[in-house]
Amino acid sequence: MIFPALRVLVPVALVIALVAIGLRIGDALGIGPDPAFTLLAGALFGVLLQRSRFCFYCILRELFEDRDSRASYGLLVALAVGSLGYVAMFGSWVADPGAGRLPPDAHIGPVSWVLVVAGLAFGIGMTLSGSCISAHLYRLGEGSVLSPFALVGALAGFVLGFASWDHLYVETISRAPTEWLPARFGYGGAVLLQLAVLGALALLLMRRLPARPARDAAAWRLRAVLDAVFVRRWPAWVGGAGVGMLGFIAYFRTSPLGVTAELGSRARTLAERLDLIPGRLAGLDGFSGCATVVIDALMTENGVFILALVAGSLAAAIGAGAFRPRRQPLHRYPLALLGGVLMGWGAMVALGCTVGVLLSGISAFALSGWVFGAAVVAGVWVSLAVRNRVRMRLSARHPAG
Amino acid sequence: MSTLSKSLRRTAALLLALPLLAAGQAVADGPVVSTSWLAERLGDERIRVVEVSVEPGRFERGHIPGAVNFRWHTDLVDPVRRDIASPEAFSKLVSEAGIDADTTVVLYGDHNNWFAAWGAWIFDLYGHDNVVLLDGGRDKWQRENREMSRRPARHAATDYQLDVAKPELRARLADVLEVVEGEHRAALLDIRSPAEFEGRIFAPPGIQELAIRAGHIPGAKNVPWDRVVRDDGTFRDTEELRRLYADIGIDGSDPVIVYCRIGERSAHSWFVLSRILGYEARQYDGSWTEWGNAVGVPIDNPAGTVWGGT
Repeated sequence: MIFPALRVLVPVALVIALVAIGLRIGDALGIGPDPAFTLLAGALFGVLLQRSRFCFYCILRELFEDRDSRASYGLLVALAVGSLGYVAMFGSWVADPGAGRLPPDAHIGPVSWVLVVAGLAFGIGMTLSGSCISAHLYRLGEGSVLSPFALVGALAGFVLGFASWDHLYVETISRAPTEWLPARFGYGGAVLLQLAVLGALALLLMRRLPARPARDAAAWRLRAVLDAVFVRRWPAWVGGAGVGMLGFIAYFRTSPLGVTAELGSRARTLAERLDLIPGRLAGLDGFSGCATVVIDALMTENGVFILALVAGSLAAAIGAGAFRPRRQPLHRYPLALLGGVLMGWGAMVALGCTVGVLLSGISAFALSGWVFGAAVVAGVWVSLAVRNRVRMRLSARHPAG
Repeated sequence: MSTLSKSLRRTAALLLALPLLAAGQAVADGPVVSTSWLAERLGDERIRVVEVSVEPGRFERGHIPGAVNFRWHTDLVDPVRRDIASPEAFSKLVSEAGIDADTTVVLYGDHNNWFAAWGAWIFDLYGHDNVVLLDGGRDKWQRENREMSRRPARHAATDYQLDVAKPELRARLADVLEVVEGEHRAALLDIRSPAEFEGRIFAPPGIQELAIRAGHIPGAKNVPWDRVVRDDGTFRDTEELRRLYADIGIDGSDPVIVYCRIGERSAHSWFVLSRILGYEARQYDGSWTEWGNAVGVPIDNPAGTVWGGT
């Protein structure tokens, strides 16, 4: 247990450090159009993820295993809010969505069986490692000892992705259509369609809502408010609305949310130095998404974003008393590593993860976001079912253990 | 008509014209305008501000208020023929931007106005002389914390039909070959980096190699493009620029043909030679990606590198 004063002092020190760095890097070159904003957005994203436990795997596990859909609503709210924000910008940037031009650097990717396989692999990797990539990043801030293994695995998975990229690109991805819903249905049609799908999912998930807990009569006393803001898990819709808003504000100011560009770029740079992958990867640099490049710079835009994410999450976790490094059963370390490999491969060939492709993609009305999302859900569902069967068999064989 | 009413009418006309005079001249008196010149004239419908940036997505996230966006990759070139925008396409583009024969076009962009200078070259080729560059481009405007807008501007469309009026501003492979073979007198200016010029590398670091030979066109002189700008991206003084080129023997006595790798940075140096110094200058837009790959044309490769060789 942390000494109580540290629960306040450490987060305050982290926030001061972030502000100080933000003031200093405002004019830095090579860290995107607005480094201070990127830093702030990363920290805020970390706080939002940690405070509302906005973790794609947890959302799905709670839905499938605990039969509790409350957290799912956070994701639906994030997608609805994000979509409405994105479409407001699209309207002013691309006046005629049918003219054949895509909005600048929105995450709208090619749709093919590769995307489906990537989503399945990513979903299975989430189950094995216990989180998706963005959640492993915020879990670093909670002192998770498994997350470093998962992230190292993801680096290796990226290298495998690069090694398989040329073949997948030439045979499949280069021929795959890039579907942007407004190009087909107009802005109005796309918004109606997307909100209708999200609404239908919301109705469907109502069947798994638990009984409403009794209201706390003392909820508006100062102590209770502080507790609700800094300690207890935020309601799913608050986190979701925050993530959705941050999503379109980040797109407006700098670039769409994504957490794998830096990981992938570091993996690509390393693998190229070691001659594991070819120097040029066909067609890769032409896509909008969590694009990976070979980098020499000490720091990049996405690097600042994810470091700030971890710092923001660390501050929030310490404040909430949720920073608890804990030793895990031995078998979970190799599983985290293996899950990381699957997620890294999936995120590379899908050009992003649950944040870059699912969240930023669906918010941008990309069919690729929906397809990847459906495949991830299927991957988690199947792997949870398999895992439970394995567990049952193991406990039947060793009833005592 | 009485003299009184005549003089009254003259006074009224003068009064009406006063706001226009106060707003300043819409026509620039040189080939470049300063950020403060433009800032004082924002909203003047006789001026059309056009952004041509290298990086897509820049314009949408903030541009000079009232500016329209021309995309180099699709609006100003013909990607199918590898050519400049066709007369029909360019006429349509400028008409939709509300530009007509009397409009002063102010171009600006990122990366030191590289693509904006290409835009200036196209406007000039099509005979629209009234075109200037914003000195220092987008970066300087932003560094000075001047107003940026994220709203799209709409201007009443015109019907402005243009056709290539000055073909002499453009050099083709055959024209350059004639110079190399001594059939025509012209200076050749290569504005790429010394490492590319000398054949030590095939393309700038980080850029894919699009030519299978390295080096330069025989007889070309090397003045990298960035020598013509100061640290803040503004053009150097005319006298400095004149001396810079005179030092390597380019003084306007012979026509100059300027090239780079794909023809976009050379538009920047072409602008200096043609518009600022007033020399007879032609832009070879085929540049090294055409010359370096062309069959049967000679190169000069001091480094002796062979592509794919050991």
